[in-house]
Amino acid sequence: MVREKVRVSTRTLQWKCVESRIDSKRLYYGRFILSPLMKGQADTIGIAMRRILLGEMEGTCITRAKSEKISHEYSTIVGIQEPVHEILMNLKEIVLKSNLYGIRDASICFKGPGYVTAQNIILPPSVVIVDNTQHIANVTEPIQLCIGLQIERDRGYRINTLKNFQDGSYNIDAIFMPVRNANHSIHSYVNGNEKQEILFLEIWTNGSLTPKEALYEASRNLIDLFIPFLHAEEEKLNFENNEHKVTLPLFTCHDLLAKTKLKKKKKEIAFKSIFIDQLELPPKIYNCLKKSNIHTLLELLTKSKEDLMKIEHFRVEDVKHILDILEIEKHFP
Amino acid sequence: MLGVGNEGMSTLPGLNQIQFEGFCRFIDRGLTEELFKFPKIEDTDQEIEFQLFVETYQLVEPSIKEKDAVYESLTYSSELYVSAGLIWKNSKNIQEQTIFIGNIPLMNSLGTSIVNGIYRIVINQILQSPGIYYQSELDHKGISVYTGTIISDWGGRLELEIDRKARIWARVSRKQKISILVLSSAMGSNLNEILENVCYPEIFLSFLNDKEEKKIGSKESAILEFYRQFACVGGDPVFPESLCRELQKKFFQQRCELGEIGRRNMNRRLNLDIPQNNTFLLPRDILTAADHLIGMKFRMGTLDDMNHLKNKRIRSVADLLQDQFGLALVRLENMVRGTICGAIRYKLIPTPQNLVTSTPLTTTYESFFGLHPLSQVLDRTNPLTQIVHGRKLSYLGPGGLTGRTASFRIRDIHSSHYGRICPIDTSEGINVGLIGSLAIHARIGRWGSIESPFFEISERSKRIHMLYLSPSRDEYYMIATGNYLALNQGNQEEQIVPARYRQEFLTIAWEQVHLRSIFSFQYFSIGASLIPFIEHNDANRALMSSNMQRQAVPLSQSEKCIVGTGLERQVALDSGTLAIAEHEGKIIYKDTNKIVLFGSGETLSVPLVIYRRSNKNTCMHQKSQVQRGKCIKRGQILADGAATVGGELSLGKNVLVAYMPWEGYNSEDAVLISDRLVYEDIYTSFHIRKYEIQTHVTSNGPERITNKIPHLEVHLLRNLDKNGLVILGSWVEAGDILVGKLTPQMAKESSYAPEDRLLRAILGIQVSTSKETCLKLPIGGRGRVIDVRWLHKKGGSGYNPETIHIYILQKREIKVGDKVAGRHGNKGIVSKILARQDMPYLQDGRPVDMVFNPLGVPSRMNVGQIFECSLGLAGDVLDRHYRIAPFDERYEQEASRKLVFSELYQASKQTSNPWIFEPEYPGKSRIFDGRTGTPFEQPVIIGNPYILKLIHQVDDKIHGRSSGHYALVTQQPLKGRAKQGGQRVGEMEVWALEGFGVAHILQEMLTYKSDHIKARQEVLGTTIIGGTISKPVDAPESFRLLVRELRSLALELNHFLVSEKNFRIHRKEV
Repeated sequence: MVREKVRVSTRTLQWKCVESRIDSKRLYYGRFILSPLMKGQADTIGIAMRRILLGEMEGTCITRAKSEKISHEYSTIVGIQEPVHEILMNLKEIVLKSNLYGIRDASICFKGPGYVTAQNIILPPSVVIVDNTQHIANVTEPIQLCIGLQIERDRGYRINTLKNFQDGSYNIDAIFMPVRNANHSIHSYVNGNEKQEILFLEIWTNGSLTPKEALYEASRNLIDLFIPFLHAEEEKLNFENNEHKVTLPLFTCHDLLAKTKLKKKKKEIAFKSIFIDQLELPPKIYNCLKKSNIHTLLELLTKSKEDLMKIEHFRVEDVKHILDILEIEKHFP
Repeated sequence: MLGVGNEGMSTLPGLNQIQFEGFCRFIDRGLTEELFKFPKIEDTDQEIEFQLFVETYQLVEPSIKEKDAVYESLTYSSELYVSAGLIWKNSKNIQEQTIFIGNIPLMNSLGTSIVNGIYRIVINQILQSPGIYYQSELDHKGISVYTGTIISDWGGRLELEIDRKARIWARVSRKQKISILVLSSAMGSNLNEILENVCYPEIFLSFLNDKEEKKIGSKESAILEFYRQFACVGGDPVFPESLCRELQKKFFQQRCELGEIGRRNMNRRLNLDIPQNNTFLLPRDILTAADHLIGMKFRMGTLDDMNHLKNKRIRSVADLLQDQFGLALVRLENMVRGTICGAIRYKLIPTPQNLVTSTPLTTTYESFFGLHPLSQVLDRTNPLTQIVHGRKLSYLGPGGLTGRTASFRIRDIHSSHYGRICPIDTSEGINVGLIGSLAIHARIGRWGSIESPFFEISERSKRIHMLYLSPSRDEYYMIATGNYLALNQGNQEEQIVPARYRQEFLTIAWEQVHLRSIFSFQYFSIGASLIPFIEHNDANRALMSSNMQRQAVPLSQSEKCIVGTGLERQVALDSGTLAIAEHEGKIIYKDTNKIVLFGSGETLSVPLVIYRRSNKNTCMHQKSQVQRGKCIKRGQILADGAATVGGELSLGKNVLVAYMPWEGYNSEDAVLISDRLVYEDIYTSFHIRKYEIQTHVTSNGPERITNKIPHLEVHLLRNLDKNGLVILGSWVEAGDILVGKLTPQMAKESSYAPEDRLLRAILGIQVSTSKETCLKLPIGGRGRVIDVRWLHKKGGSGYNPETIHIYILQKREIKVGDKVAGRHGNKGIVSKILARQDMPYLQDGRPVDMVFNPLGVPSRMNVGQIFECSLGLAGDVLDRHYRIAPFDERYEQEASRKLVFSELYQASKQTSNPWIFEPEYPGKSRIFDGRTGTPFEQPVIIGNPYILKLIHQVDDKIHGRSSGHYALVTQQPLKGRAKQGGQRVGEMEVWALEGFGVAHILQEMLTYKSDHIKARQEVLGTTIIGGTISKPVDAPESFRLLVRELRSLALELNHFLVSEKNFRIHRKEV
């Protein structure tokens, strides 16, 4: 990795893109350096960046497909070469680029015969297709192929074995992760008397964002995670947020969030940093919430009452209890 | 099979051939042979004669197609017609008619038969060849006793033995033996004949005392003596005909019928010239055998090796089907005889067709395919399984051995197995060594022997000549073992080669060699020859691998192996999972269901298999591989089936693996995997389950299928249509109703289980006139309904049972608890699924997919996995596929290692990634912990082996019990998941509980939860009322059972109380 010596300024911390190439529409590569770093710093940043890049990045994916004609995923459509399941698999592969919140609809309306590719997807304005040539299906007869799609932006991956809607729509397992691979390496050198290090970061992305953007996003994510530490103390933080909370009707805050996205962004970050551990919930409720992956106040607030009721072993009293606690929290001086 | 024209060529034989050849032999020869045995049948007055004119028998093409037979649960069979005649002897009139005898199930292109909609395969049996075998054993005093064992065609044994005093005995039962003189005279020769026909009459004479002489005075007295010994009866039974007949039936027919092969072997062994058609044991055989036995006693002649393959024969499909056909004809004969007499008595004029029904033949074959132990349900887990199943050889079955009693020696590998029976492919467990697999190139010869091909090395001609040798012949040749290729071609003469000669390994000069083996796979079965670098593996692990490859689940997206042996294509081709063009032509139409081919003036429509269930619940699915408008050659692959890619068998995936411990998550063969294998559907497989329900007629009326089921939640019924069947395409969860069925019943309270009654009492459900007997989806059965079939079968007496089949498809990602395995017997269970950023990563940042434990390698001695792993890495980097024949080390020392390192070096150079090949630790690389970014202490072996996901999946196994049924006799909970059983608390578990001093838990385990009936019922009562459950005071049911069993052995075990005051004894019933 460390083959060429890169001359960098020794004074201030600087980053630079050393190499960038587009191998294909869905494979971007970028190499960055960050220097000069003190001994040990490169490792700290490198591993954190790698983990954030691989695990925390958000991406856009097709999460649901709907078509009137098909009876189930494992059936076939006359005049289309692929079985339905294979079409769904092809839709899973499609790489999209967006910065949307919530769920958007898209659709495919294709009149055969011909090849259906990603190009044929009719998208909402904020979403762009990265690779137009991605294959979806091969229609061999003059028939109309209509598929309604749902697009979501999230992080990680989602495998839907549970809960299937009866309205003829099919979940597609989504892989939101836009970064294919990330790597870091450290080159140390002696500058005068002190040892200094250069951090090399390599990023491969799927084309929905460039490595440079990925680096930027990852840094933002990382900073967001550290924000709570910038605030002086825990209690103060709670107090600070309570004002906002009063204005927010409980359990519908995600609707509001959608409306006043930018303004609430900051608040959201703050909620994100309050863990449910701090709410002094009874152990049962606490465990239930933890089990259903609710860790922060924000996650709790985005859940509707119905959502909470769906959690295993959760009763009406428990929901009330949570409401009470949040209420107390609100009025806490 | 090889044609005559290209004898020099060595091509792989068709892997299903053994089955096809057997079936063809049955149809061509077996049928006529048995039909010729059919006698002329006369009635009692000898007026009419019935006979078959065998020369004109016909098999009619089946009326249904193979696919429909499977779909409708029918038998794919062909009707057999034979012309028969009735001859009136008085008038010399002949009435001839073509009559229908019955149905014969046909074999399809997979080498299987379809019986009642199920694919069945008849596996070949390997038996001791009939004939005589001389052996010596040490008796309890350490003196060697010589025996000659005569084995009949049916597997019966007659043992001749010579004792210390040179007396010759024939063993008739386990305890009784009779003198050879008695046996021969019972078989009809007198003393003079005996003495004339033997070489050592003096030995026979010395054996003869007065008592003996009386016994053999006449044939009758000899038979009487024989019977007395044989049946162990005392006294003096008189000589009736029935006794003679019984002896005939019980002794001579079973133990003395040699058959054609037996006669041949007998003649050869004893130097006799008795004609071939004399298939019964003659007195002359016995006497000559006794002569030879005396010879053995004086150390003349050689002993036989019973386990040598030359003394074994294969009873193939042909023989088994032929035997059944013979049996059916005997039944038919009896039937015809009965009906002729009946017809004459009632003065009816019979016609040939009236006399014959199709029942004997049809039922004989149906029961044969259904019940015979050698007729098995074809295992169709993956393409390999199908093909291997037909090539099995079994020592088990009628006339053979049993798993419990077979000796170690018979299970062992014998040197005559070389090139015939695979030395490594056998089942594990009780049948180890008893179920073998045919080696790739072996074939079945005329007399049921297994023949192996060799190249003849002759001085005279340069042309290489190939010949098949039976095990009795190849012993007499010097056979060069595989190393010949290592010889320098220039000076062959000077070379010394290792060779095999008479079960020994010798090192001889090249010019002395007669034969050489043709192929390095020659010794192995298909399963074993799919293992790359097999020569580096311990045989036990190779065995496991060849068995585990058969358990691999076809994945949703298959991938070719990077490192293979080159046999993958042939296996896939012969397995029948591919769609192959039968003639050349142009693709004129193609969709998911079919491919239409036009060529040479005809159109051929090739239907494709779509999401079809195999009998192991795996999914069979064909994907077309050709484009519309393209021209196709004959034999070209049109579509890939399950677990094949581009016509090659592909059972698993090449994944990036590291051999290192990781936080104990891979100790004891556990495997740590990355979540990439989950979300990228790397190890995702489809499983299709069939659920079946039938409607019956009960005493209260017929059962109804309806969607109106009382007392059930609407939620559970949401998937039913108006007929009460689940809607096609709906998603069903465990507990959902698939078919709503109501059974009429008498309104009675007592017909419910106690807990059921309790629930009814609590919920206030009224007793109704019908009970729901719906088909509910069992736990773990969630999935998509992909097919619903409603079959109407025609039953007798106006009642038509209906069968409903529901097919549910599940998509299963790999999860914790699933079993994965490599191809070297390295198997493990997934213990944890880690996010990709937490997995160890390589120097280029690539996270590893699986982490195996390095401690799994040294003690198991399967080093082949390391070679495969490293070569796989090179292949992955260079985008190359390797096909490596085993035993490449014969070319030079350490050839495998050299190949792997050179490829790694090349990969490293070509991609300028120095870490792929580092000379200090070749094959290993420094890798990093994904959680901390720190490098691990040691360099680690990384690579891309081919890893399979096996059919042992946690979804099918996970199980718990809260309440359920109890065994009838012991009243203990049943065992097994299928029966909602519990986990046994055995003695060691009891010790553990005792060790912790948890008395109440222990008591609960042994009483309330198990076999204390009263306590069990009290639990239910107290659940409603509340309060504490009283402790059981008396013994549980299984103890009472023990007492009763002892009593039936006349041992009284009882419980008494002695009063302290007046010493009165109170007897208590246990």
